[in-house]
Amino acid sequence: MATRVGEWLDQRLGWRAVWSAIFLRKMPKVNWLYTLGSATLFVALNQMVTGILLTIYYVPSPDQAYDSVQYITTQVPAGWLIRGLHHWGASVMVVLTVLHMLRVIFYGAYKYPREVTWFTGIGLLVTVIGFGFTGYLLPWDQKAFWATTVGTRIAEVTPVIGESILRIMRGGSELTAITLARFFGVHVWFLPAALLVILGVHLFLVIRNGISSVPKKEQE
Amino acid sequence: MSEEAQVQRRDFLSLITWAIGALIGAGIGIPAIAYIVGPALKKETSQEWIPIGSPSKIELGTPTLFKANIERTTGWIVNQEEVSAYVFTEDGRTYIAMSNVCSHLGCRVRWIAEQQSFFCPCHNGVFDKEGNVVSGPPPRPLDRFQVKVEGEQLFLKEA
Repeated sequence: MATRVGEWLDQRLGWRAVWSAIFLRKMPKVNWLYTLGSATLFVALNQMVTGILLTIYYVPSPDQAYDSVQYITTQVPAGWLIRGLHHWGASVMVVLTVLHMLRVIFYGAYKYPREVTWFTGIGLLVTVIGFGFTGYLLPWDQKAFWATTVGTRIAEVTPVIGESILRIMRGGSELTAITLARFFGVHVWFLPAALLVILGVHLFLVIRNGISSVPKKEQE
Repeated sequence: MSEEAQVQRRDFLSLITWAIGALIGAGIGIPAIAYIVGPALKKETSQEWIPIGSPSKIELGTPTLFKANIERTTGWIVNQEEVSAYVFTEDGRTYIAMSNVCSHLGCRVRWIAEQQSFFCPCHNGVFDKEGNVVSGPPPRPLDRFQVKVEGEQLFLKEA
């Protein structure tokens, strides 16, 4: 039965070809460091699922943000788990992204023909850092407030356009409800949209070009 | 290694991969369901006796409207909420306290003295002085509160 349904679908969708292009593609013999990208992808999926779940209760407004986060953590069944996964996943995400990048650097995997994969990887790194920066403000506790105060002041140090950057980030000169709302909007709409597009190109290129093999000593 | 052995190893790894995937899926999926439906399963009615005023205010045989403010926590927000009830007594000893929320679709009913009945303006539901349906769409009588009198104070509790 299942095979017949699979057959029927395959004749119409051609999903088997897609499936084998993604999962059954040929690979050089590599080591465990080559799984760091997949590990990052896995944590990214975790962040998407838990992040979407958090929006059910979280309210991005100064008088409710903190209380709604406390409510998630202490009152909602498994709320501590969902928030915990998102919180720790955020740190793991940054660590894995950087480790993945180091592997690509040290194995020279950014070279021809994979330069564009590398460029999109840089875009993904910046996006991940953006996620971390905007997400850090959302619990709206003391740590969040002052970390964002400091973070936006660091951006202000930029020559010439520094003050404009700070004002655009904060939505004014002070850190207010406007800041919280825009950080939330960037965290749940702008960055996810950017991530999906860049990640789509990144993964397409990984599959299209295949992964690099472990570099060998010079061959005669 | 024979051809057959290789196929078996591949099948085994594929099965393990799917099993781990299913485990992770259940590990997040089951808590996610609890997380989503959690507040829906919570009992919302207040379990405390609410003082609403003196029973001497009631005219025998006429439902009288009482109002009281209570504090109710919904999620992370504490609200001042008004509880209102019509209290009715024939003899000054046994009391009936009825919600003034129509059992049809939740509009507020009003006591019309001339007609000796409660009237709901939304869909013309009519209830008698004990809250039983006289005419119109309401499917059941007006909801009742538990009532008690202690000294010169009338108390209600959400049933």
